[in-house]
Amino acid sequence: MYILIVEDESRIAKRIERMIRTIVGGALQSIKHINTLQEAVTFIENKTLDLVLLDLNLNGHSGFDLLTTAVSKSFHTIVISAYKEQAITAFEYGVLDFVPKPFNQERLEQAVQRITTKETTTVNTVKYLAVKKRHKVQLIPMEKVVYIKGAGTYTELVLVDGNKALHDKSLEKLEQLLSPTFERIHKSYLVKMAEITNISVSSGSKYIAELKNGERIPIGRTKYKDIKAKWF
Amino acid sequence: MNLRFLSCLIFLLLLGTSCTKSDRNPVFKRYKTLYQIGDQPAWATKNWNDTNWKKRMKLVPDGQIFWSRTPIKILKAPESLQPYGLRLEVYGAYEVFWDGVLIGRNGNPGREVDVPPEGELWTTFTIPNHLTNKGEHLLALRLSNYYYPDHIGIHEFKIDEYNDLVTDRLIKNSYMHVFAGAFLIAAIYFLFLFLGNKKEFPMLIFSISCFLFFSLTMTHFVRTTIPIHYSLHVIRLEVITGIMFGISFLIPLYFSMQFPYPKQKLFLGIYGVVLLSLYIFKHHSFDFTAYNMMVSLWVFSLGIAIYGAYKKGKGALLVVLTLLVCIIIRYTVSFGISLFVGFSLILLSMLYVLSLRIKEQRLAYETSLVQSTRLRLELLKKNIQPHFLMNTLTSLIDWVEESPKKGVLFIEALAKEFDLLNQIENKTLIPIKQEIALCRSHLEIMEYRKEINYFWEEKGIDSAQNIPPGILHTLLENGITHSLPLEDNSITFTLLFESNREYNRYTFLTVAETVRQEGNIKEGTGLKYIKARLTESYHDQWEFTSEPLTHGWKNTITLYL
Repeated sequence: MYILIVEDESRIAKRIERMIRTIVGGALQSIKHINTLQEAVTFIENKTLDLVLLDLNLNGHSGFDLLTTAVSKSFHTIVISAYKEQAITAFEYGVLDFVPKPFNQERLEQAVQRITTKETTTVNTVKYLAVKKRHKVQLIPMEKVVYIKGAGTYTELVLVDGNKALHDKSLEKLEQLLSPTFERIHKSYLVKMAEITNISVSSGSKYIAELKNGERIPIGRTKYKDIKAKWF
Repeated sequence: MNLRFLSCLIFLLLLGTSCTKSDRNPVFKRYKTLYQIGDQPAWATKNWNDTNWKKRMKLVPDGQIFWSRTPIKILKAPESLQPYGLRLEVYGAYEVFWDGVLIGRNGNPGREVDVPPEGELWTTFTIPNHLTNKGEHLLALRLSNYYYPDHIGIHEFKIDEYNDLVTDRLIKNSYMHVFAGAFLIAAIYFLFLFLGNKKEFPMLIFSISCFLFFSLTMTHFVRTTIPIHYSLHVIRLEVITGIMFGISFLIPLYFSMQFPYPKQKLFLGIYGVVLLSLYIFKHHSFDFTAYNMMVSLWVFSLGIAIYGAYKKGKGALLVVLTLLVCIIIRYTVSFGISLFVGFSLILLSMLYVLSLRIKEQRLAYETSLVQSTRLRLELLKKNIQPHFLMNTLTSLIDWVEESPKKGVLFIEALAKEFDLLNQIENKTLIPIKQEIALCRSHLEIMEYRKEINYFWEEKGIDSAQNIPPGILHTLLENGITHSLPLEDNSITFTLLFESNREYNRYTFLTVAETVRQEGNIKEGTGLKYIKARLTESYHDQWEFTSEPLTHGWKNTITLYL
């Protein structure tokens, strides 16, 4: 695992690092500590990472820009902050967890384990998906997203207005953040349940979800039972 | 406020008109008075042939005896047991004969040189009932005028029921005394207010104006209560004119203070000169002088008030209106009454303007209280805001887990900072040493948190100096937050103090690598706090600058003396 800690308090950074080493153990390939916003942005842009542990207040600056950059990336972001009231905002932008300061090893472990156990966030409060477009991060409101299609390591967001946007996170990671509003109806599709108007069975026992915008999306054979149970 | 003011005006106008009432038809008709120098008892008789007597007498020198004869027609005989009275204002000592009968004496005519002054200027005599039948009568005066030989004549002449003559004046007087008393109380009240705050000169001027108006009223109406010999009369007029002069200068001065205009001193100087020349010119035509001073006071005040209204000065419009109302009053009632009503209206408008100022001051004071409370809270918040508290606690937990001994030292440092903060929390100024102690204890905490070597240096600090609490502390916090340590993992803070005749200056230097700033740096709450604190204690006598250096940051606080 490649992990980055962004924290301007040296003592706290060391504490996080020490705990992460214990929690992740042998799976840890690299851990890096950065204490300024600029350095962190550059690092995130250029390095492959699996997890970023982010303090939102760095040297008196709000780490909001860094947050949107981070959540647009393929890796998961965990915010560690003294400001509990920022938790809601953080979740809205799609962080995996928010660890308030002061924290202990148990709380940090719980957060980190969400990555490994693929546990979904219990309540989905994501309001935006940050998408990288021409070196700029654009925020797409969740109500505009109809479904998400897996495209290799990327995903493709299909929007209400017919436009499409590429997201760096994998379908699995997005499923973790967006459940239960969005359902994985197929290994390549994550669909907003509210958008499904009908489920039909076509020849050869193929199950098809019909969406409000008229599109027809296949439902995986293994998923069908679950979907049917939820949908009816 | 306006409503109350209006009702005051109406009350006052009513009072003014009540003083003017003399609604009954006169019971007599007076014919031309004739004069003759000399002294013959027969001149008192009703049917003496006085055709060769003079219609006017300009001068009777040396206190010689002279006579006056005034034919009178009684239009209506008095009711039984309600005798008529005769009121006279005559300069001189005299005996009064009615139809040849001596009915009264005022002083000692002909003996004024030898006998000390006796009698008074305003006198009332009873006329025996049997001498006031309907028809022709004759009033003869045997006079001498030693003190003002050129003031010959009967200046006031009235016949009416004796009781009414006496009581009417007393009633009018009692009104005017109440009236004067109100202004005396206002004068005392505002004098006390001024003594409580000696910067409030408009209050003092208003107080003096009220007192002068009180004195004017009293001097004017004193003749009813205190007998004044005609030789003293001019003193009373001098006093009245003097008071008028004072009021005429003070009222425009007051308006100048309330509604400032350019070149004030010049205009006031010119006005003073104009007033003084009016005072000197024809000084002994007292009414003339008073009238001229009134007019110039009115013109100058109106000019100031109109300029004030143009500049949107609060209350100026009302003053303009009041001054215009004065014009109406001048042409509806006699000069004497318009003087009192006019002055009281102007004084009331002054009071109104003053009350507006007092209200403004109260609001400003309340705002400053709120501001002080806000600053106090801001200072308190410094150490309980989550960023400080939660980060400190996180580090503290870590120290406790890793090295309990260091953890204890850390807690002690924290306790020290909280303690210091508690001591200064409700102060607006604290000794500089206390502020430095606060900074040092903060550095100690931050050293545990950030694991950077912080150094504190100070030069030229004068322990006797005070400073608003939390100012240097805020600069220190900013320095810590926005700086990265130098290569040797150190950040140094230096506080320099210099003092000269003009100012005290603190220079606060941060020697560190600065964090690169993106875009415009907007003013943070820290800098706002510093500026608000400086304003609270030094008003606008301070300057604060903040600029980056190659290695660090430089702040200066200049406090002008």
